[in-house]
Amino acid sequence: MDITWYVVLSALLFAIGAGGVLIRRSPLVILLCLELMLNASNLALVAFSRAQGNEDGQVFALIVMVVAACEVVVGLGLIVAMFRRRLPLNVDEMRDLRG
Amino acid sequence: MIQILLWLPVAVGLLCFVVPRRAVPALASAGSLVVLGRAIVSVAEFHTGQPGLQQTVNESWIPDLGVRYQLGVDGISVFLVLLTALLWAGATAFSAFRVPERRRIYFFMLGLAETAALGAFLAQDLLLFVLFFDLMLVPFWFLIGTFGGENRIAATTKMIVYTLVGSLLMLVAAIATAVLASDQVGHLSFSLADLRAHTLSTGSQYWIFCFFAAAFLIKMPAVLVHGWLPDAYRAAPLPVLALLSGVLSKVGAYGFLRVALPLYPQATAHFQEAILVIGVASVLYGSVMAFTQTDVRLIAGYSSIAQLGFITIGIFSLRPEGADGAVLQMVNHGLVVAPVFLIVALLWERAGSEDLGRLGGLAMRAPVLATLFLVVTLATLAMPGSANFIGEFYILIGLFQAKIVYALVAGIGVVLAAYYAIRLFQRTMHNRKPEVIDSREIGPLDAAVLIPLVGCIVALALYPGLILTRADPAAADKVDAVNAGSPPSAPPAAPAPSLTSSAAAR
Amino acid sequence: MSATTYGWLVLAFPLAGCLISAFGWRVLPGRAAGWIGTAAIALAFLSSIGALVALLDKPVQSRELTSSLYSYASAAGLDIKLGILVDPLSVYMILVVSGVSALIHLYSVAYLASDRGYSRYFSYLNFFVFSMLLLVLAGNFVLLIVGWAFVGFASYALISFWYRRHTATRAGMKAFVINVIGDVGLVFAAFFIFRDLGTFDYLSVFHAAPQHFSTNQGVLIAICLLILVGAFAKSAQLPLHTWLPDAMEGPTPVSALIHAATMVTAGVYLIARTHPLFELAPTAADISAFIGLATLIFAATVALAVTDLKRIIAYSTISQIGYMVVGVSIGAYAAGLFHLMTHAFFKALLFMGAGSVISAMAGTQDIDRMGGLRRALPFTSVLMIVGALALAGFPLTSGFFSKDEILVFASNRGGFYWIFTVGGYLAALLTAFYAFRIIFRVFWGEPVPEARELEGGHLAHAEPANPLTGEPEDTDVGFPGPEHHIAERDRPMWLAMATLGVLSIVGGALQIPGLDHVIETFLRGSFLDSRLYESVPSVLADWEGLAVGGAVALAGIAAAYFVYVARPGTSAALARRFRPVHAFLVNKWYFDELYDAVVYRPAIRIGRFSTGVIERVVVDGIVTATVDAVRGIGVVVRGAQSGFVRAYALLLIGGFAGLGLYFLIVSS
Repeated sequence: MDITWYVVLSALLFAIGAGGVLIRRSPLVILLCLELMLNASNLALVAFSRAQGNEDGQVFALIVMVVAACEVVVGLGLIVAMFRRRLPLNVDEMRDLRG
Repeated sequence: MIQILLWLPVAVGLLCFVVPRRAVPALASAGSLVVLGRAIVSVAEFHTGQPGLQQTVNESWIPDLGVRYQLGVDGISVFLVLLTALLWAGATAFSAFRVPERRRIYFFMLGLAETAALGAFLAQDLLLFVLFFDLMLVPFWFLIGTFGGENRIAATTKMIVYTLVGSLLMLVAAIATAVLASDQVGHLSFSLADLRAHTLSTGSQYWIFCFFAAAFLIKMPAVLVHGWLPDAYRAAPLPVLALLSGVLSKVGAYGFLRVALPLYPQATAHFQEAILVIGVASVLYGSVMAFTQTDVRLIAGYSSIAQLGFITIGIFSLRPEGADGAVLQMVNHGLVVAPVFLIVALLWERAGSEDLGRLGGLAMRAPVLATLFLVVTLATLAMPGSANFIGEFYILIGLFQAKIVYALVAGIGVVLAAYYAIRLFQRTMHNRKPEVIDSREIGPLDAAVLIPLVGCIVALALYPGLILTRADPAAADKVDAVNAGSPPSAPPAAPAPSLTSSAAAR
Repeated sequence: MSATTYGWLVLAFPLAGCLISAFGWRVLPGRAAGWIGTAAIALAFLSSIGALVALLDKPVQSRELTSSLYSYASAAGLDIKLGILVDPLSVYMILVVSGVSALIHLYSVAYLASDRGYSRYFSYLNFFVFSMLLLVLAGNFVLLIVGWAFVGFASYALISFWYRRHTATRAGMKAFVINVIGDVGLVFAAFFIFRDLGTFDYLSVFHAAPQHFSTNQGVLIAICLLILVGAFAKSAQLPLHTWLPDAMEGPTPVSALIHAATMVTAGVYLIARTHPLFELAPTAADISAFIGLATLIFAATVALAVTDLKRIIAYSTISQIGYMVVGVSIGAYAAGLFHLMTHAFFKALLFMGAGSVISAMAGTQDIDRMGGLRRALPFTSVLMIVGALALAGFPLTSGFFSKDEILVFASNRGGFYWIFTVGGYLAALLTAFYAFRIIFRVFWGEPVPEARELEGGHLAHAEPANPLTGEPEDTDVGFPGPEHHIAERDRPMWLAMATLGVLSIVGGALQIPGLDHVIETFLRGSFLDSRLYESVPSVLADWEGLAVGGAVALAGIAAAYFVYVARPGTSAALARRFRPVHAFLVNKWYFDELYDAVVYRPAIRIGRFSTGVIERVVVDGIVTATVDAVRGIGVVVRGAQSGFVRAYALLLIGGFAGLGLYFLIVSS
């Protein structure tokens, strides 16, 4: 099966996600965009698995979903902690871990 | 066996963690005395007259890299080993009588340091030597950094970094030597005997020699690379300082004799004048600085620079008399400088200061202490009649026959030494006593440590030939390696009458 | 017993005495240390006589005997043994040294009786005698250097004996450093000798030298000049003389022993011992003689002006040793060594007398504060007059016979050597003058208060003070004891002085021209290889010279009488009229100031420069520069760690994109 359009869609989604990570300042939005990137790669994985005819890609996509879930938990937890301490939810202000 | 001698100190150190706290100082002192006994046995079993290694151990260690676990003594190292054991016994006992706060760490580090120093003197494999050379630094970092005076962390950091620069250069040079020699030897080997038999090309020798020289000169220290000395000497606890000055500085000079001269003969001959200049500069600079300092530790420290300068020029006179004198002087200096620092500790306890401006008149109710200090002072300035004089005599006569001008300039150092040594003695012991000073006689415990040390100085003064005759074959062998490998530049040796009389002498 | 066995005994007794006094310092009662010390030296003297007798048993040609204990430090072609040489020269010296030392020990038993450092004093004094005997008996150059240095150390220890006085410790340091300069000179002379002759042993060196060296060869002159550096440092000749007047800080018997009778004569002994080398290098010998002459005159002029009693006698010593140096340099070995002996007698006597006078004056040493002590100190004054007469060379005293023999020998050698004769007689005039300057100033004239007290039977006391600076001192150990001892009251002092007085008068009988020449005959055994030894002047010439000498002495004494007794204000008037000359003399020709400016201050300045500039800038500079460089690089690299999450993200994504592109391009 011709998966060209699926891969193009995946690339587009990935680029949008990457752009969002680089441009947006709110950590919540960055997390969303990160999810977008992860889903884009999931799409690519499933598409290739269909093209190859075996299930390896789909298995891998499940694993990516697990990782994504864990990472979202941690990220959201950090954002809630930031919010509770009334820190500005602005990634540019979080600069203390510098050299 | 020599292995006991080598590993017993660190073993005793480890035991210090296990035994009850109160027994630690006694255990450490007893251990150091056993090591000393073993060292004396080693000297007694030593056969004079052969230039080769004795009491050897030769095991394979890392076959793939060609590193062997190879130990041995010869005329040069047997007395240095004894000196190490003796000074460590003295310093350990002295510390045991003034137990520090964290005693287990302290005595363990002392034991580890002793093993490292002994290993450096006993190693006959190049990488093993480098290993022990660098290992020596680790316990001193802890000893100075934990138990020292103010500014100790900065001082010891400076010392470690300085020495490590040299050590890293030395490591590179050692590896390069083995790799380059492996073409001739057939396989990779770090054994000193193999490397000596298959010397490298002149070009490689030059830069390798410079790297090794850097490491050794920093260790001694020689002038211009001595920047670590003032801070380290001011911060270190005094028994540790006695060991630092008495033993560790010698490893640098010993390294020249053991590694540089036999393995890189052409380079040694090529750089002889350069090192002689550094040596003479050390003598003069150290002496001049010594007589303007007011901190007692620094006077002893700069004096050590001068003395090590003498030892350097003795080795680099590239004559057997010079080398013999250098070996004797290594033992002498260690034997003399350790009591100096122990006495400084006693002075501090009585006067609360180490500054000459605040000391004086201590001899008044302490005649035994004053006498011991006087003997040590006279040995420091190499008064004829002491073994130090014979050492300097041999060094200067060797240099005189090789490069006369350097000998004449170095002679100035002798006069300066007289001035600063007597100045130190007079300003602490004589003249009026400032009110705060408590002039007490030396206690029985401290006397038990100092009197044997000073006794050794006196005994050696009566018969310096003890060391000279045993060191001569090995030292002459090293020097001949250089002179055989390069065209003779030194004038011919003394005419026939002396050779026949020396054959009859011993 | 053989002569060499006696030689070892001579060394053993003083060493034993030293060790007993040193280790037993707490257990020895009262004056025991003093008697032990004196006994040790007396036994050494008896052993010296034994050596003399044993030596005389042998024929004249074979009186050079050696013996060695063990190989001290022999390796790599150098053969250094602990060996002694017993020959007429060394036996002569050990007799003089041990004899005079024994008397001085006897004197000290009483003089220092109340000093808290009594045992320490006798231990050091015995050690000194041991070292001096070692120096004289040594059979090779290295042992000579060892003895040389030991003597220097003993001198230091005894000069700064009262170590709480900073003037004493400073004087000791000065003596020691100058002595080390001499040591270094000797060491280098030994190096040259070894390099060319291959041995350090005296007899081998002296036999080999004529074959190996040609006359006045450069190396040989260098060797001799280096030996002279050592000799002049020890014998306080120009320009290394500045330590001796300061050495008067030590107790007076020390001044008598070390700085008059024995140690300072070591240089003379050395030149005599190495005469084969000097005779092969006449240039060096002449240089030596001229320096001796210069010293001779210089010291005599200074002795005219200084006012400290002991320092006048010290400058007199420097001057008289100048005579001896001239003597042994021009070849008058017997005469020079004879003068060494007689000088030991009368100079020690003069110092002993000075000790008694200073005690009577409660510690003052300034002759301007003394006067009229004749009645208070009858015995001391008589003996000091005896000593002064011998020093001046009054007819028929020992000094008369010994001093002028040298001058006659000089004129007999011809050539330019007449300079020495003229200069010598000139200085003899000055010598007689200042010798009696002391006598007339101290013993004649109005009695001072201390003298009157003593006439009344009571020894004067004063607050203990430093004689040089006048600072008060506290009387703990490290200062002279509270009691003062004078010869009139203490039997040992009396006995010692009397013996020396007799010797000062009759000592000349050993070498009366035309009658006997005991010394010359005896010493010949050591000078068989000398070309100059036998060229003695005729008896007539000798007596002519003696007559001139006697006349000069009488003239000097008369002049002194005129200036100090007949017209008491004359010396002050002369000082006023010739103020710059007087200042020049009183300040010892400004040698101390010269050395201070040329040697000492520059050395300190170099030291300060090193500490301030070299250490801070150069040495620490390397470290600081390295640290700054590393830190600088660190600062630059730190810029990349901004803490901006977005910047990190950009780097990540950009990096991956770049890598991906690279691999895409490479693989296509």
